[in-house]
Amino acid sequence: MISAAGVTKAYRDGEVRRQVLRGVDLELGPGETVAIVGPSGSGKSTLLNILGALDTADAGTVRIDGVDLSASRPAALAGFRNRSLGFVFQFHQLLPDFTSIENVIMPGRIAGRSAASLQAEGLELLDQVGLRDRAGDFPQQLSGGERQRVAICRALVLEPPVLLADEPTGNLDAASGEQVLELLGGLRRRRGTTMVLVTHNPEVASRCGRVLRLDGGRLTPA
Amino acid sequence: MGFVWHVALRYFRSTRADAHIRVLSSLTAGGLAVGTAALVLALAALSGFQNHLLADLARHTPALQLELAGSRGRAADNAGEESAALVAWAAATNGVAEVQELLYARGWLAVGASVEQVEVLAFEKAPPVWIPVEDRAVRGLIVPMAVAQKLGLAVGETVRVFSPRPGLTPLGPRPRTRTLPVAGIYRSDRADYEELPVLLPLGEAAALFAGGDRRLDITLAPEAEPEQVAGFLRESVDPARASVIGWREANRALLFVLRLEKSLVFSAVVLIVAVAAFALLASLSLVLSSKRSEVGALAAMGAPPARLQRIFLALGALLSVGGACLGGALGAGVAAFLDHFRVISLPADVYIVEYVPFLVRGSDVLIVVASTVVFTGAASLLSARRASRLDPVEAMRSART
Repeated sequence: MISAAGVTKAYRDGEVRRQVLRGVDLELGPGETVAIVGPSGSGKSTLLNILGALDTADAGTVRIDGVDLSASRPAALAGFRNRSLGFVFQFHQLLPDFTSIENVIMPGRIAGRSAASLQAEGLELLDQVGLRDRAGDFPQQLSGGERQRVAICRALVLEPPVLLADEPTGNLDAASGEQVLELLGGLRRRRGTTMVLVTHNPEVASRCGRVLRLDGGRLTPA
Repeated sequence: MGFVWHVALRYFRSTRADAHIRVLSSLTAGGLAVGTAALVLALAALSGFQNHLLADLARHTPALQLELAGSRGRAADNAGEESAALVAWAAATNGVAEVQELLYARGWLAVGASVEQVEVLAFEKAPPVWIPVEDRAVRGLIVPMAVAQKLGLAVGETVRVFSPRPGLTPLGPRPRTRTLPVAGIYRSDRADYEELPVLLPLGEAAALFAGGDRRLDITLAPEAEPEQVAGFLRESVDPARASVIGWREANRALLFVLRLEKSLVFSAVVLIVAVAAFALLASLSLVLSSKRSEVGALAAMGAPPARLQRIFLALGALLSVGGACLGGALGAGVAAFLDHFRVISLPADVYIVEYVPFLVRGSDVLIVVASTVVFTGAASLLSARRASRLDPVEAMRSART
């Protein structure tokens, strides 16, 4: 499902060139979940962005579902992200000018589907996370946990085979974080979604099938 | 509603919420309204004036003439034979109602010690319709009012007509001259700066002004298309014999100046629209800056760069179309009002009209619309391209910083 080989990435920080990833290899099968842990600034988010076709590797290859991300053009990568990947960000990244249901169905709108055809699926997802009655509310009317649950619904509305989550509970209190984790676990069981979670939280990592540590630019079993 | 317009409309609505964007977008709409209104009004005023001027020109200019090649300086007999053949040919052309021969020359009128240089127009049958002679049945010397006043002439009084071409006599060259009674005086409603011709029947003028410029004045049938008839004559006549002068060719320089004037006024006034387009650029840049992380999130969800670009193009259209439409309607409305009630009056002895006329032409409105679209489109495109080139990771990170 996900195959990364020899992925390297460096950033220029003023005069200094900082090597963030030094030949990262990762193999992940369908339905598998992996947590990536590591100290701040170790490159966890960078790796997730490369796996999610939001950033490009300096060297190495990344294949998801047989698609070589490094060989694809920006428009093709956008289409791939829309069809095959779901993102959950630490700061939910909901669109404040759109209601909860509109946010949830946004990937479907991008895919060219009408709002009416997506409405039922969006409401069903919101129902699963207990937010059906908040469908008409705007993000600023929701709590942090509710926003993150809406963001998860948005990531799943097109039923992508891969879900990438960057600190999905990092900005939440314990109770909201637990809700989000239970939701992700349930979705993995029901849909067989492959998940990559970047986290600092050992409790979150322990719920994944595998835990990998990114340190010094290399990915090793934790 | 498609994804692009759905997002653009929400962003448009959100511009009402942010005070800075609201002020800028209001400036944009106001600037575009003023710019388009000013453009429509300026072009309507120019069109109004030009319409009057061209109508006046058409009334006082021959619709179509055939200028006989090399007629100037040619012996009268030869020129007469040549023109008679052309008259017969032109008269048989479709759309031609009447053809008469004219002769243009310069000469002098003298009364006692007063001498006035004049343009002489000799006619074969009757004074041409584009000369404002009231009684067209009058035959003889017909003098324009300005010349009559200068020489103190009245109808029935005699005047000596001199030709610049001397006649050869056994005593040497002597000026050709004839003494003729004034048969009529005509008044023109045209401005004083234009020299009006002294009219003479061709029979009287031929001997005096044998070397004059001979033309055939063609009166068209009411249903005839001047351009069509002119085109046919041009194709049919041997350029070595005659050339066709249409109404437009005769006034080519003036028409060029009118077009130039309109272009210059348009170029000056369109700057208001250009400034408003800068305000639009600033508005869109501000919107993009405030929506940076959201645009990044849309890109992360799979919105391709081209569609992100279209969102900002649509937003640019939404921010500008209201002002442009309002301005266009306002300009057209004010122009119609000013024209209908003749609000701005002008001194009648200076201008050809007594008020500032306004004429809103569809083609002018199209030009205004097109220029507004070009300026606002360019401004929108600049912002839209920036939106499409945003790095989604960097853009989303901006939400946290």
